[in-house]
Amino acid sequence: MKIVVPFKSVPDPYAGAGEAAKSVINPFDEIAIEEALRIRERGEASEVVGVTIGPAAIDEQIRSALAMGMNRAFRIDDARALDPYAVARILRVFIEKEAPQIVLMGKQAVDDDSNQVGQMLAGLLGWPQATFVSKIELIENNTRVQCARETDGGLEVITVTVPAVVTTDLRLNEPRYVSLPGLMKARKKPIEVLSCEQLGVSVQPMTKTLSTSRPPKRAGGTRVESVEELMVKLKQEAKVL
Amino acid sequence: MDFSWSDQQRELLDAVSRFAKEQLDYDMIEADRNAVFNHEAWKKCGGFGIHGLPVSEEYGGLAQEPITTVAALERLGHACKDNGLLFSINAHMWTAIIPLVYNGTEAQKKKFLPGLCNGSLIGGNAMSEPNSGSDAFSLATIAVKKGAKYILNGSKIFVTNGPIADVLLVFAATDKAKGASGISAFLVEKDAPGLDASHKIEKMGVRTSPMSEVFFTDCEVPEENLLGKEGAGSWLFTRSMTWERGCILAAHVGTMQRLLERCIRYANERKQGGQPIGKFQQIAGKIVDMKMRIESSRHMLYQCAWASGHRKSVYLEAAMTKLQISDSWVKCCEDAIQIHGGYGYMVEYEVERELRDAIGSKLYSGTSEIQRNIIASLLGL
Repeated sequence: MKIVVPFKSVPDPYAGAGEAAKSVINPFDEIAIEEALRIRERGEASEVVGVTIGPAAIDEQIRSALAMGMNRAFRIDDARALDPYAVARILRVFIEKEAPQIVLMGKQAVDDDSNQVGQMLAGLLGWPQATFVSKIELIENNTRVQCARETDGGLEVITVTVPAVVTTDLRLNEPRYVSLPGLMKARKKPIEVLSCEQLGVSVQPMTKTLSTSRPPKRAGGTRVESVEELMVKLKQEAKVL
Repeated sequence: MDFSWSDQQRELLDAVSRFAKEQLDYDMIEADRNAVFNHEAWKKCGGFGIHGLPVSEEYGGLAQEPITTVAALERLGHACKDNGLLFSINAHMWTAIIPLVYNGTEAQKKKFLPGLCNGSLIGGNAMSEPNSGSDAFSLATIAVKKGAKYILNGSKIFVTNGPIADVLLVFAATDKAKGASGISAFLVEKDAPGLDASHKIEKMGVRTSPMSEVFFTDCEVPEENLLGKEGAGSWLFTRSMTWERGCILAAHVGTMQRLLERCIRYANERKQGGQPIGKFQQIAGKIVDMKMRIESSRHMLYQCAWASGHRKSVYLEAAMTKLQISDSWVKCCEDAIQIHGGYGYMVEYEVERELRDAIGSKLYSGTSEIQRNIIASLLGL
């Protein structure tokens, strides 16, 4: 069995205020990588292949993914700001060529929070999908994947037939840290670079970002004298009651 | 000398920083009070690759140059507040792993190094005796060859990792008449008959690093566990001691850097007389002195490691590096307490522990006086 893990490079969400945020693997994708490696370590998969889209600057995150233990990785060279549909269309062509049994990826990227690529990819491929997964089990001689999903109503357990797209939730696992021996081994593993032309896919983003702005600065608080005054302010000024 | 990092070194060092920040920045107050060694952190460090940094890949190491190794340890010390763990790692690396790397037979290396590198084995070193400290080679512990075994009798004191070690490098006299030339080194495994390493010694600082007295009563050591030739013990000790002096305080250049950052934060936050205390020249001056000590310590550390990596003798440099960093570390801790005022003296603020941890550095691996003796002798005095 082969597992392909598409992953994205994002600014470090844990960077402190005022610190220059370094790029890291999207935390949800890191969970997907970890799960794929665990499935391989259990002997249920033979290969874990990574794929990401971006310029050469993200090779560092690719090496981190290889250092975790992926067998090999691809970078599809495209420096444009792509929207989820464009990403899904590029990945579809790659996945069809690579022909894995499972595509395992984060449920969303923490930079744009779109939460669309996994679902769109499954749709384009015509594969079943299991999203927001907090537990994965391969069953029936690795022909089906049993997944637990945490929903508002409780734990939902579903099975999908492979090939399938599975997107991971936060509670699936705790990713391993990159060890120094892993890092040294990763230097010897290949990063293959492909272009959209080589894949035979041409995409244009269908959405355009017009502007981004910071949230308004918090105004300072005020002290109230009584509960009555607080109620009046909550009703008339804050308009929350 | 060129201390700029290659992409590969930078990648490795960043990985160490990230590992240390995520895995080793744990609460220390209780662990220090109860003198508890963190086995889990030890295993993590081994698995991550710290212990094997200077060891070749065929024995499970990473074959890194000394300069990369000390810089990695510096990163470790910057995030990890457990100076006891770092002390245990240093004892393990410099007094057990390095002598094996240089003097071990193929069989000894194959048997011990992979486990010592990945953290599954803990190493230590037993040299000092109740009546033999700075006068290192006047040993009372003796080893007598009997068939295919050596029989050891005597005792050792201040054995770092003693209570937890799987293998101890023990120095003993095989021929007392020859003095320093009659000393041999032995790899004594924890289950050796006649070995007792259970008598723990409580310390002022680095309390989370276990230390014990070790007793040998007709302790049997197979002859294949003799490290190096018979009589080569003092030479072997001096050689590994040079590594030890040059590298053992690398992590604490990082510790000092962390203290500096903490003091700057505190001096900017804490207000007295209507302004941050950092605006007072006496406080600012102390912080500048800390910075100067750290930079000069780091420079000496890198220079020593660089020269060692270029196959130069660093006997002098290692002694100067050890002296410089230990003095700087203690002074930085004193300044950090002074900057924090009364709070700095309180356990909760975790600055006083740093001073307790630092003071030992002027004693172990050769006291500051011994380092000065070495430097003086090399100056022709």
